[in-house]
Amino acid sequence: MAEGFNTDDMLEMYLVENEQLLEQLQESVLEQKDADCFDEESINEIFRTMHTIKGSSGIMMFDNITAVSHKLEDIFYFLRESHPENVPHMELVAHVLDVEDFITNEMDKMRNGEPVDGDASELIAELDQFLQMITTGAAEGGTEPPPKNVHEEPKQFYIAPVASSASRFYKIYITFFPETEMANVHAYKTVYALKEIAEDLLYSPEDLISDTESAETILHEGFRLLLQAQSTEEEVRSIIGVGYDIKQVDIYECKAEEFLQGFDFGDPGQVMQIDLESSVEDIEARKQDSENAAGVEEKKPEKPKMAPGDFVIKSKEPGKPKKLAKDRNKTEKAAFINVSVSKMDELMDLIGELVISESVVLQSPDLKVPGLNLDNFNKAAGQLAKISTDLQNIIMSMRMVPLTNLFQKMNRIVFDVSRKLGKDIEFEMIGETTEVDKNIIEHISDPLMHMVRNAVDHGIETNEERAESGKAEKGKVTLSAKTEAGKVWISVEDNGRGLDRNKIIAKARKQGLLDDGRPEADYKDKEVYQFITLPGFSTNEQVTEYSGRGVGMDVVVQNIQSIGGALDIDSSQGFGSIMSLKIPLTLAIIDGIVMEVGKSSFVLETGVIKSFVRVKEEMMIHEPDGQEYIMIRGECFPVIRLGKWYGMEQYHQSVEDGVMLILQVEDTKVCLFVDSLVGEQEIVVKPIPSYIKKVKGLSGCTQLGDGSIALILDAAGLIE
Amino acid sequence: MEAISELRRQIENEDASNEQDAQKGKYMTFKSGNEYFGLEIQYVDEIIQFQTITAIPETEDYIKGLINLRGKVIPVVDVRLRFKQPPLEYNDRTCIIVIYVNSMLVGLIVEKIAEVVEIREENILPPPTIGRIDKAHHKYVYGIGKVEDGVKLLLDPDKLLNDDDLTVVEQVSEVNLVED
Repeated sequence: MAEGFNTDDMLEMYLVENEQLLEQLQESVLEQKDADCFDEESINEIFRTMHTIKGSSGIMMFDNITAVSHKLEDIFYFLRESHPENVPHMELVAHVLDVEDFITNEMDKMRNGEPVDGDASELIAELDQFLQMITTGAAEGGTEPPPKNVHEEPKQFYIAPVASSASRFYKIYITFFPETEMANVHAYKTVYALKEIAEDLLYSPEDLISDTESAETILHEGFRLLLQAQSTEEEVRSIIGVGYDIKQVDIYECKAEEFLQGFDFGDPGQVMQIDLESSVEDIEARKQDSENAAGVEEKKPEKPKMAPGDFVIKSKEPGKPKKLAKDRNKTEKAAFINVSVSKMDELMDLIGELVISESVVLQSPDLKVPGLNLDNFNKAAGQLAKISTDLQNIIMSMRMVPLTNLFQKMNRIVFDVSRKLGKDIEFEMIGETTEVDKNIIEHISDPLMHMVRNAVDHGIETNEERAESGKAEKGKVTLSAKTEAGKVWISVEDNGRGLDRNKIIAKARKQGLLDDGRPEADYKDKEVYQFITLPGFSTNEQVTEYSGRGVGMDVVVQNIQSIGGALDIDSSQGFGSIMSLKIPLTLAIIDGIVMEVGKSSFVLETGVIKSFVRVKEEMMIHEPDGQEYIMIRGECFPVIRLGKWYGMEQYHQSVEDGVMLILQVEDTKVCLFVDSLVGEQEIVVKPIPSYIKKVKGLSGCTQLGDGSIALILDAAGLIE
Repeated sequence: MEAISELRRQIENEDASNEQDAQKGKYMTFKSGNEYFGLEIQYVDEIIQFQTITAIPETEDYIKGLINLRGKVIPVVDVRLRFKQPPLEYNDRTCIIVIYVNSMLVGLIVEKIAEVVEIREENILPPPTIGRIDKAHHKYVYGIGKVEDGVKLLLDPDKLLNDDDLTVVEQVSEVNLVED
């Protein structure tokens, strides 16, 4: 890889595209892992994916990835062409996943700016062996092994334009999928790839790099190339290749004369008149040609014909649709585009601002002049209000993504772990289309992974144990998601051995976690199960590759709590257990209560407020050191006066003028005293600018309906 | 590949250098106390009218709080307080200069915006150092620009925002002595 490439947009594009390709690949592979073999469609898809990755990695000069994907492409080429019997499907699946892992791993390194140094030789050797096995297997089975995939790695140097008698001339039209982004760069990739074989190469539009409009032109009019090379059409096709970006490639062979005419594909006659560079002979020859063409095939002047002179071009049906292009019509996958989250945040800010300006306009004092006829204005205003509400809803929904990808990842983990442990496990997903905010997904990915691994490793018994205990059905792990009451519930259920209450209690006793005065039987099941979420607590005696070190569940709980979620464990010994995560739908928006102290507004998350109370002076208890308490309905709470806490200038001194809020975080309760309540509303959380040092008890800020800023209080911080 | 990145690099460099050329040597000046200060124009994002500020508890007194700049929440700093000058009532001439430093936006509350002036490099003098050298290291006045009708104290915005306390008032009077 060339120096200083890491920050290049090209690399970014390469990574994003390949990541998507690999995700799709894994999805389709795992979908069919239980079948006997891949169906034709997925063989084609894997072949195409590998081909594309090979191509782009070649350009980016990641030789290892190129080599690995080339090998896998070979295997699938063979599968596609000769449909061999007796292919060990599981082994094939494992190989595909290995390759995917390898590439993903390398891409991670690129992202982190580390050298891309993965050693592919072992993997390639394995793939070679596998290919050997299935080819020989197929030969024994009586089918002819197909010709080897002829694509040679383009390792030659760029050859300066030389015309030789063996040269052939091609006109190439490339049509990109209309949704392709930066089509000019894709086009340049093609040009770059073709340079390897080209003796001469012209293309239109010519300015691919600096002229960003060329992307539009390419999408609308297609990308046109004139190529002079010694390669056959087949070879050219293998270099360009229909892929994720290229919809169709039409290659027409043509003669040198036509080649020299440049890009006027339409009417060769006109070009001739202004052609001053060609020799007289050329022009003569061309005239003849065009006469022939006009006579024989008026409608297709560029259809290749027998060329005069010392080289013969075999006539081919131009633009014959290749098998490759056949089933690319399923565009549902391409209906997505990637947008950076920062852009969406910006959009969200702007929409918020729009809503505020709207209310400024609609409530303008100028409208209050008596005697104005505002009927039409009000109608228009109503329409405007509706549109801006819709806009707000849409931007909110844009941040939501389905859990599908995350669930697919879990599918992969179940597959890997169960295979390594030799357990026969079925995996079921329910409700994977449930949508949550993107940043939530980032937070729950690791915890969920732990839970799924635990279920497979500890939860499900080995096949022998299952047989002994008379469990008929297969081990099964169910991952389900649902939305309920503004929260998302994700649960991991297994039908394994369940949690052993006695074992957990014994371990808890050993670690001194039980209250001395409390009899064991007094502990509720759920309380007992919560012990396993404590650090250093693992009931598995054996540490395995996947779990059992006792650093799992506590991390899970920590991560979940950090986003305001909770973990619920239920189990029945001998029949399995179920672990449920309860998490908020989004971190960006919270339900909050807006309140005022002095001139400032504050917001508290609705969930932590237990109740609002008006109190009387005589309920207060004052300690000599200034600490205050309050008795409410027989309970005593410490009091925090928000105004005093932050040393503000004006706030209500007497508790009878303001409102007490009873807050509860886990088991601690405090009373917060504020001047007045404003109301409840949905709050868009924004971080406090980093220039301001962290202030205790504040977790962010938000913009209120009138454009002013309110500070968001962090109840846990206040209680500390 | 190299060709692309090479091209792109060239283009970017050209763009950047053009823009820098146009901005080079230009300073946004404003008044605070009796002095005029200058900020290199490339740091200045925009100038807005004074607007309501939401105070943040438990911060330095010169950090006045947060404002809402078209949906972006940005902190504002009162330059007078930063220079340990006595606070001044805000009026309709009070402005907020929004500057972009270290990839963050910060508003500077100033008494009065003056003009944009061009100061050539040869007219910029290093601030005279009196006393210990190491103290001079931390100055947020990094130079003194001479223009026709007087001098402007040129500010290093990064140090202005992040340095520990320094009083500009003494330095200012010293500077005046030298110049007179």
